[in-house]
Amino acid sequence: MYFSSFILKNLTRRPWRSALTVLGLAVAVGTMISLLAVNHNVEFAVSDSFNRRDVDLVVTQAGVVFETDSDFSEDLVEQVRKLSGVAEHGVSEALVTVEPLYRENGTVLKESIMVQGWKPDNKAFSDIELLEGQLLTEESMGKVILGSQLASNIKKGVGDTIYLRVDSKYEVVGIYKSFVSFEDKAVTMSLKDAQKLTGKRITGFSVRVKKTAPSGTPQAEAEVQKVKEAIEALRDSNDPTVRLAARTPDSYVDSLTHLKIVRAMTWMVGIIAMVIGIISVLNTMVMSVLERTQEIGILRAVGWPPRRVIQMVLGEAILLGLVAAVVGTVGAIMATHLLAMSPKVDGFIEPGVPLKIMAQGIGITAVIGLLGGIYPAIRAACLLPTEAIRHD
Amino acid sequence: MTDTFADYLLFADRVFKTYPDGDVHAVNGVTLGVREGEYVAITGPSGCGKSTLLNLLGALDRPDQGEVFFRGESLSKLRDLDRFRARQIGFVFQSFFLLPTLTARENVQVPMFEGPPLSARDRAKKADALLDLVGMGKRAKHRSAQLSVGERQRVALARALANDPVLLLADEPTGNLDSENAAKVLDLLTALQKTHKLALIVVTHSLDVAERADRVVKMKDGQVVEDSGADLVPTPDAAATG
Ligand SMILES: Nc1ncnc2c1ncn2[C@@H]1O[C@H](COP(=O)(O)OP(=O)(O)OP(=O)(O)O)[C@@H](O)[C@H]1O
Ligand SMILES: [Mg+2]
Repeated sequence: MYFSSFILKNLTRRPWRSALTVLGLAVAVGTMISLLAVNHNVEFAVSDSFNRRDVDLVVTQAGVVFETDSDFSEDLVEQVRKLSGVAEHGVSEALVTVEPLYRENGTVLKESIMVQGWKPDNKAFSDIELLEGQLLTEESMGKVILGSQLASNIKKGVGDTIYLRVDSKYEVVGIYKSFVSFEDKAVTMSLKDAQKLTGKRITGFSVRVKKTAPSGTPQAEAEVQKVKEAIEALRDSNDPTVRLAARTPDSYVDSLTHLKIVRAMTWMVGIIAMVIGIISVLNTMVMSVLERTQEIGILRAVGWPPRRVIQMVLGEAILLGLVAAVVGTVGAIMATHLLAMSPKVDGFIEPGVPLKIMAQGIGITAVIGLLGGIYPAIRAACLLPTEAIRHD
Repeated sequence: MTDTFADYLLFADRVFKTYPDGDVHAVNGVTLGVREGEYVAITGPSGCGKSTLLNLLGALDRPDQGEVFFRGESLSKLRDLDRFRARQIGFVFQSFFLLPTLTARENVQVPMFEGPPLSARDRAKKADALLDLVGMGKRAKHRSAQLSVGERQRVALARALANDPVLLLADEPTGNLDSENAAKVLDLLTALQKTHKLALIVVTHSLDVAERADRVVKMKDGQVVEDSGADLVPTPDAAATG
């Protein structure tokens, strides 16, 4: 017999208790893993959309709390186009907003969908895949194209009409597929239409910098930094209070207030889940050590040192943790898929748990097992063999 | 005087043990020498300190006063009493305390984790041999709950022998057994003591055990009041201690 199989048998001896502990712990861990995963997936989708389009800087209005509140003039964008460090055709501006979608009779079809207004020369048009119909042109007023996921979700195709804000109707002229998950769930229209719809001008733009060294090198970073400073120094003569904030894609993602809230929530719920997990393991292991007082006395009598008793109890706790980690991870994968299907969060949650998060989750659960096991293990190890054997 | 202790496998030199809560002098100045291969029975009325003395002799507990010597070496100087117990001493208790999750074969292997290093296979092999020795070879795969009480005690006996101890300590090993099973376990103990040249100290109420032993030690109120082998033990010099 191996010591490890001895540990395993101690857990299988009370299968119900072990299973319930695993279940409780798995719920805690699963919650944490799903939150971390959802958080990661959203952040990844945003930064990936910029990184794959070779975007060096993301520019929005400085000082706004939510990026959808950003609003500035096209004049500022033109000033950026003329900056010497900016690549040719390196600026793609957009007006991004979140709107409800209506039915013809004025009732709400979808509470919130992303609407993006692009100029026909927006670089992103070159990497979205047209599945049906056509893309937008300079004259495409009153026309929209739909991301494939949104299209199948609301069952609209080329030739159909969608209603944004009761009196604004648009003809669907194309269906596209985008590697950016939230674009695939969005309505895309011409910038002019979006401006008419919202009364805003530009909410943000991306910038590619003319670099003389490969991306990632200190020299390239310095060049990006220079352009960033130039952009942030620009002023709009008609509206001198407006400033621009230019950020690299990663720091842009970090700066997003929505995501910051999600991150803070993730950590808060994650820590609560961890504490619950630790208490659950603690409870189970304290019970199990108490029940086995006499046995532990015998183990000590036959010469097991306190160290081995600690190994036994901690081993059991960590094993509980690892099983719970596996169950919790599977649960988390299912939970994120279920959540992504829920109409309430449609379009904002990406399903799936990346490997990195799984590894983190399993590591954290092992730590939970360890923390929950330490006290009972020490208690067991401190039992005096003579007292333990007399115990009843 | 220490050099004479060396003649003994185990020598308790004026040991005292008082439990803090009851203020009972459970063991009150006992001097006792046990030679290699000797079979000693300890008897006496309930509560006279037999189990307490056995725990001191088996390094399960340390005396408040006095010392226990093993082959002339003081146990109080041993840093690792766990290791000492694991390698030199086998214990048998009144309740058998087999681990319920484990089979007989696995139970016998429990002390081996702390014994001389053996592979998992060798541990299993050795356990089987020990179970054969106690006549339980055919029940190796049974769990405690599937064994009769007599059989459980025999498995416990095999477990006590797991690391080839030189000293076997048994506290009322037949206390929970009917006379037939008690006789079986006693025969086994006696036989093992002879074949393995074990020193055997048995705490017992049973006259059967006392009959088989080389020597009977009677205790009362924490002291030895009669010792059929007393001539073998140097008499404690009361004047010197007082
Ligand atoms: N852990 C303890 N705490 C307090 N008192 C104890 C403890 N263990 C034993 N005693 C007391 O010490 C005395 C000797 O106990 P011990 O168990 O050694 O007696 P015993 O001779 O083995 O008795 P029995 O034949 O009933 O097993 C008793 O009075 C008992 O109540
Ligand atoms: Mg007793």
